[in-house]
Amino acid sequence: MRFFRQDLHTLAGAYALDALDPGAELTRFTRHLQRCQSCASEVRGFREVATAMAFAATTEAPAEMRDRVMTAVAHTRQLPPEIRTHARPRQARTRGPWVPWLSGAIATAAIAVAVFFGFAQAHTQHQLNQARAQNQTLTVLQAHIQAELDAARAHDQALAAILSAPNAQFLSERTTAGGVAGVVLDAATRKLIVATAGLPGLPAGKVYQLWLIGPVKITSAGLLPPAKAGQTAPVVATGIVKGDKLGLTVEPAPGSKQPTTTPILALPLPV
Amino acid sequence: MNPNDSDASRFTSAATDRRGERDLDDLLVHVARGDQAAFEALYDRMVGPVYGVIRRVLRDPSQSEEVAQEVLLEVWRTAARFDPAMGGAATWVTTIAHRRAIDRIRSTTAAAEREHRTVDVSPPHDEVAEAVEASLDRERVRRCLDALTDVQRESITLAYYGGHSYRQVAELLHVTLGAIKTRIRDGLIRMRDCLGVS
Repeated sequence: MRFFRQDLHTLAGAYALDALDPGAELTRFTRHLQRCQSCASEVRGFREVATAMAFAATTEAPAEMRDRVMTAVAHTRQLPPEIRTHARPRQARTRGPWVPWLSGAIATAAIAVAVFFGFAQAHTQHQLNQARAQNQTLTVLQAHIQAELDAARAHDQALAAILSAPNAQFLSERTTAGGVAGVVLDAATRKLIVATAGLPGLPAGKVYQLWLIGPVKITSAGLLPPAKAGQTAPVVATGIVKGDKLGLTVEPAPGSKQPTTTPILALPLPV
Repeated sequence: MNPNDSDASRFTSAATDRRGERDLDDLLVHVARGDQAAFEALYDRMVGPVYGVIRRVLRDPSQSEEVAQEVLLEVWRTAARFDPAMGGAATWVTTIAHRRAIDRIRSTTAAAEREHRTVDVSPPHDEVAEAVEASLDRERVRRCLDALTDVQRESITLAYYGGHSYRQVAELLHVTLGAIKTRIRDGLIRMRDCLGVS
């Protein structure tokens, strides 16, 4: 193992000169770089050498290029800054365990939420909304869901309606206790679906309870079902009013009339 | 600000100081906020090295021009993603330039054309009239390259200016993969010390 690591380390030079072929080796080294402080600082130093070599190669560029670039710049939108999240993208793929015990429509919904978790963990909410707007995968997925939902059973229909709503919004937030809550919100019908991944396990006799926390009152939005493989199946909450936040607390079973602990989540709901 | 403080000494050469690493970082911050005048200033400072390094790798002037334009536009587009913790603005920009040149040679058509081109492993030489600071950089880099062993120098120049992967370099120099990795790394360590990079 030690030899293996040293072997990886010697790639720092080739990496800094972009001389690693794309593929497994590059992926492995890039991953290694995130954990290895000394490699990262070595690569930084080598890149400065490369920079000096680039400056040494300075060549006069064609003069017309400047105008072309400036014209392009005037018409090119800049990307927003990348907001760094501490998400663990690997978790996003664990959708298998959900599927067997779910009926068709719910399984589809669960997959939609799982796919959306993939986005949620990689993007901020803002970027997520942007990504969603352009994202063909989701459009295809929605069409797919629509088709499947036509055959859905009656008690799946609340879920179906929200997931297939044309203006459904995808929101996500990390809870202060860890884990992520993912929400599909249909502002038109004031309903939402919430599913979670990676919440801490609870001792016996405790449950996670959802709340709609409004400016004037707090109403229970039901309990989260017990987690399977670290994830809770989608639940529906209705009757959202303007100014509501989606709250989550730990309560004694079988739930409370009003929250008795500090919410670990307070996600504003844009309705 | 005092040009003799620790930041300036990261790069000890007079040429680099004149280039003004800190200034470039600052310009890039303004570019990230959509400041086109700052972008024009950044362009004027960076277009020579950007075009130069791409030209070294690709050789073909029209392809080089095309890639250089893409790179400079990418700098504009992604300026907000610049992370000073990963190095200075000059490094960020030249890294993009080199990568895009490499991407271009890896695309199949370019790869085919490249088979027919000879490899120039000599240190950079004057092709056109250049600014004084560029020739100082050139002199400094040449001096440091000259201080390397032949294999170190050839593997670094083949990889960086030649745009070859280390596997190709190993092939070209008839050296094992393990040896090439080590030569490149050792050579870069010596270059780093010679150039006075942190």
